[in-house]
Amino acid sequence: MRLSYPTNIRIIKVPCTGRVAPIHIMRALEKGADGVFVAGCLEGDCHYQTGNLRAKKRVAYVQEILKSIGFEPERVAMYNLSAGMGPRFAEITMEMVEKIRLLGPNPIRLKGERKEKAA
Amino acid sequence: MEMRKGNSVGSVMVVGGGIAGIQAALDLANSGFYVYMVEKTSGIGGVMAQLDKTFPTNDCSMCILSPKLVELGRHLNIRLMTLSELEALEGEAGDFTATVRERPRYVDMEKCIACGMCAEKCPRKVDNEFNQGLDRRKAAYVKYPQTVPLKYAIDEENCIYFEKGKCRACEKFCPAEAVDFSQKETTHKIQVGSVILAPGSRTYDPKAYDYGYGLYPDVVTSIEFERVLSATGPSEGHLVRPSDHQPPRKIAWLQCVGSRDLQRNSHGYCSGVCCMYAVKEAIVAKEHSAEPLDTAIFFMDLRSYGKDFEKYYNRARDEHGVRFIRSRIHTVSPSIENGGLLIGYTRENGEPAEEQFDMVVLSTGMEVPPETAALARKLGVALNHYNFAATNAFAPVSTSRPGVYTCGLFQGPKDIPFSVAEASAAACAAAIDLAEARGTCVQVKELPAELDLSEEEPRIGVFVCNCGINIGSVVNVREVTEYAAGLPNVVVTHENLFTCSQDTQEKIKQVIQEYRLNRVVVAACSPRTHEPLFQETMRSCGLNKYLFEMANIRDQDAWVHQKEPERATEKAKDLVRMAVARASLLKPVVERPLEIRQKGLVIGGGVAGLNAALNLAKQGFEAVVIEKEEELGGLALRIPHTIEGLDVRDYLHRLIAEVRGNGNIEVLTGAELSGFKGYKGNFTSEVRTRDNQVHIIEHGVTIVASGAVEYRPKEFLYGGHPGVMTQLDLGAFIHDRASEAAGWNRAVFIQCVGSRNDENPNCSRICCQGAVKHAIALKDLNPDMDVIVLYRDMRMYGLLEDYYSTARSRGVLFSRYSRLQPPEVAGNGAGLYVTFTDHVLDRPVRVSADAVILAAATIAADTERLATQLKIPRNTDGFFIEAHAKLRPVDFSSEGIYLCGTAHGPKLITESISQAMAAASRAGSFLASRDQTIGGVVARVDQSLCAACLVCVRNCPYGVPFINDDGVSEINEALCQGCGICASECPAKAIQLAHYADDQIMIKVDALLKGVV
Amino acid sequence: MIMAKAKPMDEIINEIKGFRKVLIAGCNGCVTVCEAGGMKEVELLASALRMFFMREGQEMEIGETSLTRQCDPEYNRELQESIRNYDAVVSLACGAGVQFLAEMYDNVPILPGVDTCFIGVTEEPGVWTERCQACGQCLLASTGGICPIARCSKRMANGPCGGSANGKCEVNKEIACGWQLIYDRLKQLGQLDRFEQPVDIKNWSTSRDGGPRKIIKEVSRQ
Repeated sequence: MRLSYPTNIRIIKVPCTGRVAPIHIMRALEKGADGVFVAGCLEGDCHYQTGNLRAKKRVAYVQEILKSIGFEPERVAMYNLSAGMGPRFAEITMEMVEKIRLLGPNPIRLKGERKEKAA
Repeated sequence: MEMRKGNSVGSVMVVGGGIAGIQAALDLANSGFYVYMVEKTSGIGGVMAQLDKTFPTNDCSMCILSPKLVELGRHLNIRLMTLSELEALEGEAGDFTATVRERPRYVDMEKCIACGMCAEKCPRKVDNEFNQGLDRRKAAYVKYPQTVPLKYAIDEENCIYFEKGKCRACEKFCPAEAVDFSQKETTHKIQVGSVILAPGSRTYDPKAYDYGYGLYPDVVTSIEFERVLSATGPSEGHLVRPSDHQPPRKIAWLQCVGSRDLQRNSHGYCSGVCCMYAVKEAIVAKEHSAEPLDTAIFFMDLRSYGKDFEKYYNRARDEHGVRFIRSRIHTVSPSIENGGLLIGYTRENGEPAEEQFDMVVLSTGMEVPPETAALARKLGVALNHYNFAATNAFAPVSTSRPGVYTCGLFQGPKDIPFSVAEASAAACAAAIDLAEARGTCVQVKELPAELDLSEEEPRIGVFVCNCGINIGSVVNVREVTEYAAGLPNVVVTHENLFTCSQDTQEKIKQVIQEYRLNRVVVAACSPRTHEPLFQETMRSCGLNKYLFEMANIRDQDAWVHQKEPERATEKAKDLVRMAVARASLLKPVVERPLEIRQKGLVIGGGVAGLNAALNLAKQGFEAVVIEKEEELGGLALRIPHTIEGLDVRDYLHRLIAEVRGNGNIEVLTGAELSGFKGYKGNFTSEVRTRDNQVHIIEHGVTIVASGAVEYRPKEFLYGGHPGVMTQLDLGAFIHDRASEAAGWNRAVFIQCVGSRNDENPNCSRICCQGAVKHAIALKDLNPDMDVIVLYRDMRMYGLLEDYYSTARSRGVLFSRYSRLQPPEVAGNGAGLYVTFTDHVLDRPVRVSADAVILAAATIAADTERLATQLKIPRNTDGFFIEAHAKLRPVDFSSEGIYLCGTAHGPKLITESISQAMAAASRAGSFLASRDQTIGGVVARVDQSLCAACLVCVRNCPYGVPFINDDGVSEINEALCQGCGICASECPAKAIQLAHYADDQIMIKVDALLKGVV
Repeated sequence: MIMAKAKPMDEIINEIKGFRKVLIAGCNGCVTVCEAGGMKEVELLASALRMFFMREGQEMEIGETSLTRQCDPEYNRELQESIRNYDAVVSLACGAGVQFLAEMYDNVPILPGVDTCFIGVTEEPGVWTERCQACGQCLLASTGGICPIARCSKRMANGPCGGSANGKCEVNKEIACGWQLIYDRLKQLGQLDRFEQPVDIKNWSTSRDGGPRKIIKEVSRQ
């Protein structure tokens, strides 16, 4: 299946979303990513039983942290889909990219650009 | 290579690449036998690949199947022969010569890169069988995207070139020159020791019914409906009806289409799975539907007889609102209005009724296709009257021809877990025949010792693939390669046309040696399919396979950004930069071979335990059976005959004698497990016998066969009147006091006593069968006896249905009662009276009875202590929980521990035997395995940082971490599954997962976003 | 163990915004166990603060560390060298740790990053509840092992108040009445007679009214 999806997505492979720690998501945003989503197996279908459920909790935790520093929590999201759901993946990326487009660039990046312009 | 030892050949042929064949092949190949897998179509996966979800867990079918497909496809000791059929089998058990006819694929599998160009360019469209003809495929095609081998095929019957002598578009456009029209049919003569037949079944064609199938597009079969629901199906998982692609609002399922029916070319047996899949489809359809969806299942008896099935049925009805209507449908006709379908039926009280639906799903049964029956005849394998393989209840996987075994649907109707267990059982039988030839036909890879690179700076080689034109036509591969050359630690780069080709592997080896590379990055297709190949190449140069990193520039770049080549090239550079950055932090990860004690401990000396021990011993392993009673035999001691009329006591005597006489088996009776420690391959058990002797047993595997017990009814005067007895009591009574029983005027059976109620919501599976068996036995004793069976649903699944028909034809009266109006039993001195509501008359009826026989539930034995000792889980009913309800039916999630018999859930003797053989196969496979390693991607605790907070202990899904004697967390590398949950949770950051440490993950983020802020 | 929870982010931001270089110092003791102040939380707080100040366009360097325990001088001494590089420290230890660190480094502001809440237990993963208020005179022997000081909202020492209804406290219907628990437990132990015996007037001088407390165990002194 080769449905096209936006080119501005980069995937980082982990053995299970259970390995995705809050700091990984925070680090991506801190380094300037506009958004991060965690793509795990369908709930109940985790190969490691509970990895995706832990990831879901952690994504919610990161959202709380973002709120506390005045960043939009919508910049991070958790999605569940199976390896056979190519169309769904394309749909998710489009949904996410659209959401981020509406939010605008990561505020820290905007600041950097403004600084450049000022200089 | 020495191909044999003694008289047998150490290889097995498995016919059929469905889930049963796959399981049998993997079990055998993993335990020292070479396997030829013969599959008729172009790819394996069978019917399971077509299913959307599986009951009763609603697991995604493809998600759970696909790892098995990949494992089989990559197995060094399985030769996968697709488009092939077994034609003839000469010779005898242990030494057969099989003739296999292989049809041409017209695609060179060595060269095909599965890019799909042939299909894209092929001008001929035909019905897509995988989607049941609901959409179209090309004549150059791949069966489905996850199939194995993932190689295209040209369908000769539909190819324009074969029709008209010209076209060859596929050949012209194939970038890998893989299309080869010169291929010819070939015939192979193959020597094998055993054969396993797992050819599966097909769906009954429902055109003979007045249900409008073939006339009205919105009448579909259940397998068609699976494709409609599936994300890979014709509507990509959107629930739409075929006629107008609009979402339906009302769907009906009609049960028993082609089953439990002797008319219309139909079959007398129950297909065993349709009730459950209909319930599942109704639930899933509701979930898929944006608007509320009304679902109704029209059925005769709802047969949710499996483990946890009844709860699933209850949830469907009570929580999802699926309607269940007890009626056999006579016709489906089009409705005058809005294209709906009208179902005419008869209510239970005899009133006619009609209801309109948008879509009708026919729950079609399964049948043996004529070509399978023809194959069986050719091979000299006897069939039963329904064309299933004829087998014996005590040898459920043996066919009439010695050395030829069977499993899955060809053996009889059954669901996936029982097919999988039976497949392992067949593998066990084959392995026993060939025990002395184990290891004689397999290939073992010799590898050089790994180099010590710990002191070296990273030296990275980057290989960028064009994948023919798959990548190269979108991504500027030259530019990416040049870019890679400038990245830190990169010492050499190469651009390849096909990085995966055999000659490129040789080239990579040369480059590794010439440039003394200690890390390799390949930018190409996908690690999912190709990582192991490149890792093998590295390994053959003495490099640890974990020093490899792949940048996915095809599946995640070129293929999905075809219209934006510049952005795709930029993305490819990012992906390569990220991979190189990560590669520089990769460390060798050590995997050490696991030493395995070649002995099994079997807990329980009933039919299951004895069979497990015997089958383990016959494979050549030692076994110790422990039984808590003084006598072996378990619950089966109380069962004189099977429903087929086989003598259980005689069988048990022979079985016990064989176990006691086997030099590999030690039997300890009056024995209980008093201590258990260790891990897979290395368990130490302490067993205490009644004479207070302590036995220390060191073993590599454990099989739990601790059995179940009959519920002691509190209802229906049980224990208060001698005429009220359980089915087990009756069995003994008929056996011991036949003439007394023959004198009875009337016997009344009451079903579901202690099952399917609030206390025990599950069905006990075997009691309908028990009632029918005893009802026929009573009729045999005295044909004039009135025999009444009061039931809720007669669950005579599979071929048992025949006995239900027999009982009715012998005059046994079956009367249904509802849970809300159970029968009442009253005693009056010696007399017994039963009052029940006749569901047709809807009036109470009172009869006298000489005996009232209660279908007492089969309930879990008290295994609380055992569960704690072995750390194995039990469900709320007290039965042990297998590792996976579908595909690992006899494994526990803790490796090295297996499960069989009624400890898993109620089941028939023949099913227990099958499961016991399966457990012995899985256990034997583990004991014989040379590939078991410890280490690899596992979590490690830096104990100096550990705060002993217990977070890892509480979060590990496998219960592996524990606080050790030093008061800090310890993770046994042999038990860790490598999910990384603990590493991400540890509040002290004391845990890291090998190969996925925080720095190894975050350096990708850093490399990607370098310079952004 | 001592239980704490993260301070509201704006409080922390407010305290440190005047500095340029701030060290976040976790503690590997109690606050790690209650997942409020271990190295994991240090990393997350540091990352969040960096993001905040980056967006504000304010230069802010944030360091990360975690000490074995901040209530022992030897461990706190580990910061001796590195602390010179910072204008301030946010300690994620309990209140004791924050103060002890401050006593050692008296020319660097040591700011609290958590709110220290109570002495309690891990009831289930992620749920911590209070069990002890460190009153200095343990009554548990006479109350069936359930503390009326920590578990009764009103610290009643001699039986429930009139506000106990259906086993719940009038302060909050979610809270079990401490005295109901004590009664049930004594009943279970067959010690209901203890319920009848009044306890002496509680000597609160062992608690807070005597100022900061001190324990001396002579044998342990050097």
